[in-house]
Amino acid sequence: MVLREIEMVDFRNYASQRIELAEGVNVLLGQNGQGKTNAIEAMYVLAMGKSHRTVRDPDLIRRGTSSARVEGVVDRRGRLHQLSLTIGPHGKRALHNAVPVQKMSEFIGCLQAVLFSPEDMQLVHGGPGVRRRFLDMEIGQMQPAYLFHLSRYQRALQQRNALLKQPHVTREDVLAFETQIIDHGAEVVVRRLRFIRHLREIASRVYEIISAGRERFDIGYVWSAGGEAPPPDDKPAVHSAIAAALDARWGADRQLGHTSVGPHRDDLLLYLDGEPAQAFASQGQQRTIALALRLAEIDLLREETGDYPVLLLDDVLSELDDARQRNLVLSMSERVQTVITATSLFGLADRLPQPARLFHVDSGIIQMEG
Amino acid sequence: MWGYPEPISRLIEHFMKLPGIGPKTAARLAFHVLGMPADEVAAFARALADVKTKLTECAVCCNITEASPCAICSDPARDTHTLCVVQDPKDVMAMERTHEYRGMYHVLHGAISPMDGVGPNDLRIRQLLQRIADSDIREVILATNPNVEGEATAMYIARLLKPFPVTVTRLAHGLPVGADLEYADEVTLAKALEGRRHV
Repeated sequence: MVLREIEMVDFRNYASQRIELAEGVNVLLGQNGQGKTNAIEAMYVLAMGKSHRTVRDPDLIRRGTSSARVEGVVDRRGRLHQLSLTIGPHGKRALHNAVPVQKMSEFIGCLQAVLFSPEDMQLVHGGPGVRRRFLDMEIGQMQPAYLFHLSRYQRALQQRNALLKQPHVTREDVLAFETQIIDHGAEVVVRRLRFIRHLREIASRVYEIISAGRERFDIGYVWSAGGEAPPPDDKPAVHSAIAAALDARWGADRQLGHTSVGPHRDDLLLYLDGEPAQAFASQGQQRTIALALRLAEIDLLREETGDYPVLLLDDVLSELDDARQRNLVLSMSERVQTVITATSLFGLADRLPQPARLFHVDSGIIQMEG
Repeated sequence: MWGYPEPISRLIEHFMKLPGIGPKTAARLAFHVLGMPADEVAAFARALADVKTKLTECAVCCNITEASPCAICSDPARDTHTLCVVQDPKDVMAMERTHEYRGMYHVLHGAISPMDGVGPNDLRIRQLLQRIADSDIREVILATNPNVEGEATAMYIARLLKPFPVTVTRLAHGLPVGADLEYADEVTLAKALEGRRHV
């Protein structure tokens, strides 16, 4: 798919800005603090319905104004889709082809985007929450049903936790919510396991190419109940494993006042040559892992939905070790529409794959070169 | 600072306590009341007071009613063997509008939600069990909402009903009538597929 144009109104430092993007590579050039990342963020918000930088939607509204709006025209196999997202102080409103969208889960995925930014290093050295968020965002983008089961799971979990804080709670009391925790939790875990089985295959191949075969990269799912996670296609086994874990931790959970086991506590384990990468990967290796995960997503999305997503690269040219890696990333734009932000082109100006478009970003104003 | 005269600001404050009413709407409503004929205002005030004084809970089904037992509970034409359990009085109205259901009702007045401090004892569950023990009910339809709290309430009641000789059923999930398949969301469609039946 191709994002033909994007418009930002009162979004971050943009008062009103519209740009038309090329099908190949688009480079947003400018000094730091001019709004390059804000423009990338706008595209991401249009795809995901929320920002990658903040959980507070009102942060996206330009200072002194009451609501922000992002609009885009997406070309999906020759059919144009108009997307619009308005963020107010108390909520957001989404339109697809001028028709209001009832549930955000139906809006997410109309534009598909994969973002690689410096924060992605957190995927390796950050806490488990960062990796769970990665799983949730990526799977949710491909399967709206995942988001449904996840939100039901979280709601039932909150209710169970509220019960656990009550002084005279009995095992019987929590069962009505626990049944739902187990049902929706199993749906979440099975989908995660299937996603990971697929992701590890593609990401390890991509890692090999980026690192020129120096190390072998692998991914595993960490089951918070301890031990091996059941196989992804065995839903009854996942179901009974979650049930057994909740049962086993009942006493401890009552003491803690919250639920200490389940998909909300699971994690992803990243390995280099069979060793956990969280512990010992160098800066360069961490970056390569994060990049391999993001690039693998492109192929995953393509397989799942039949379309290539838009690739958003925020300030990564300077981060990549050598010209070979930069060329590799740029070569993606032969298949995938790419938007890159950078302070300079690092000598790549005449090697940009065509069709390319250069934009200059200065104090919340974007101008196309030439 | 100049403020509204006391009676009007008091009225505005009361309107603001209603759900979905902010200060601007409250002021507009208050000034509208000010412009209404005096007898209409008196009738409005009476209607407000009557909601509390003339309504009571039906001793049988716990629905709100003017006279207990309510019209449905005292209607001899209803099927007394079937009982539909709903969360709110509004749900009884919704079921009645179908003109399909001829059984009895039981209104819980809410759903179990520990986060909001609502437990089983805050609902009319004790009355429900008593009623099932005392009368000849053969089927209990659990028609609580299909969200986390409604499902939990249905499950909780279903467990309590195990010792009773009644059939317990739950409303089906499915496609809205008149909707096109292509516009149904994935989850609804998956639920509808799960609950498919022979033709």
